[in-house]
Amino acid sequence: MKSLNKLSYPYIVWMTILVVLPMILILVLSFTNIDIFNIGSFNFTFDSFEYLKRPEVIEASKNSIRLSFFTTVICLFIGYPVAYYFANTKSKNKQLYIALIIVPVWSNMLLRIIAWEKLFYPNSILNMFGISFDLIGTDTAILIGMVSMYLPFMILPIYSVLDKMDKSLIEASRDLGANTLNTFLRVVLPLSLSGVLSGVLMTLLPSMTAFALPERLSGGKTLLIGNIIEDYFMKTGNINAGSLISIILMFVITFLFIGLLRFDKEGDTLL
Amino acid sequence: MSKIVEINNISKSFDESLVLDNINLYINQNEFVTLLGPSGCGKTTLLRLIGGFESQDSGQILFDGFPLKDMPAHKREINTVFQNYALFPNMNVYDNVAFGLKIKKMNSEDIKIEVNKALKLVKLVGYEKRRVDQLSGGQQQRIAIARAIVNKPKLLLLDEPLGALDLKLRQDMQYELKEMQKALGISFLFVTHDQEEALTMSDTVVVMNEGVIQQIGSPEDIYNEPKNKFTARFIGESNIVDGVMLKDLKVSFGGFEFKCVDKGFKSNELVDVVVRPEDIVLSKEEVGKITGVVDDITFKGVHFEIIVMVEDKEYIIHSTQRQTIGSIVSLGIGPNDIHVMRKSLEESK
Repeated sequence: MKSLNKLSYPYIVWMTILVVLPMILILVLSFTNIDIFNIGSFNFTFDSFEYLKRPEVIEASKNSIRLSFFTTVICLFIGYPVAYYFANTKSKNKQLYIALIIVPVWSNMLLRIIAWEKLFYPNSILNMFGISFDLIGTDTAILIGMVSMYLPFMILPIYSVLDKMDKSLIEASRDLGANTLNTFLRVVLPLSLSGVLSGVLMTLLPSMTAFALPERLSGGKTLLIGNIIEDYFMKTGNINAGSLISIILMFVITFLFIGLLRFDKEGDTLL
Repeated sequence: MSKIVEINNISKSFDESLVLDNINLYINQNEFVTLLGPSGCGKTTLLRLIGGFESQDSGQILFDGFPLKDMPAHKREINTVFQNYALFPNMNVYDNVAFGLKIKKMNSEDIKIEVNKALKLVKLVGYEKRRVDQLSGGQQQRIAIARAIVNKPKLLLLDEPLGALDLKLRQDMQYELKEMQKALGISFLFVTHDQEEALTMSDTVVVMNEGVIQQIGSPEDIYNEPKNKFTARFIGESNIVDGVMLKDLKVSFGGFEFKCVDKGFKSNELVDVVVRPEDIVLSKEEVGKITGVVDDITFKGVHFEIIVMVEDKEYIIHSTQRQTIGSIVSLGIGPNDIHVMRKSLEESK
């Protein structure tokens, strides 16, 4: 095994260059006043924290929380029944259905976002069928986009838990007098909670940090926290405030993950 | 005694293979019935039909006089101890046992009393707060029993519940289950492939093979008077020899004539003769008896298993007397030790 360990050295080097160093850089940027056009001299400062009070940052945080919350709830209510169906169906096409859920994830996300965008403008290919939407700029458009993007990440972990569940537990529950509803509430649902939690995190996190999707589907009207970071870095050149928001977001995500790992000790539902 | 379950002409197939072929059987109140047979003989399917987890293709099951057909599993006054126990991993021991009572909306004081009684019966008082995955196999098995009997079913179904336990524990549990059944006064339908288990515990043994009941009877009957070759082979070891029934109480096999206790056969009918290994007495070579050469000898603890070759036929003999390989011995078989069976249909064709 020791000789095999050496094979990991190149990866450790690359990890350091591509992940650890940028992280340190972002951390440093957050607490300094380095100017992107004048990198020479800088001081450590907490000035960037002032930006957290700005109306656009507060507005974007609210948007992020609201939209990611609704996305997650909708995904859960659609995803659980679908996962339940797949786990219990005796259909021979089960593998095909699962594949149909996974395949879209492999195609380019930006392409799928743009496809939705085109459909949501009043003039779209849907006019052929006499249908016309005017959704760009509404929460509905963003929610439809997000749900369609992240639904597979809700379905798969729940399906994985339900599929592995010992079917004799369901029989035992019925045997002891529980009807279908009671069996679901007392046995199936509690035993699938770890999958639900995985699914919730897997949809909540990307929808909270999304920036391309809200930008395209809102026509730039609805800003999420990801858009703010992008703006600060790419447009206003305020890399210090952008870094600080990134770091805060990263902490939030890390804590959520630690919470998941505690709950799901076996780690068998994380994809 | 009144019948608690009556099974009439039940047949069932899975994907065109017949698993149960016209089964008829009844279970009396307070009776310990065992379904015994090799894996795939349909015994578990029959149990699942009664439990409500499968439905029959034809025939009917009467429970307490009423047909079960359209009654879902959760409404039947029948509880099951599953092969893998199927304890709920999200609940502790107490909640597992209390599950059925909570569903029935019994008040929590009464539930406490009943659960305590059930745990006392399986000797696991004090384990209430344990997680079920912290219990040993034997303890999980007892919790599964407690969880079922706490509901006071009229019939308890047990699907090879002792299969995963080691020999000593299995023997203890056999005894305890039998005691429990007597104490509770409910009928047990027990499924096993272990013939010793079946003989030890049951009032009635039902021997099954390939979806057909081979024989129903008390353990003694099944052992001493097997109806056919399958039962004779499956229940204990036995020597099965081709013979001819000369007349009532007279059978010929191995080149000699023997007195026996069987009658009612046609004269000169070809029959199977069963002799249990422990019923053969070995002696020095004697004229007028089956004589052969000791081929092999194995020490089995209580007895030696001795293989004697008589011409081309092997006889298995259980004896506490050691023999030397190669020595010539005679086989003593008394009239009561000979059991004559009709040839099964396929063979006589």
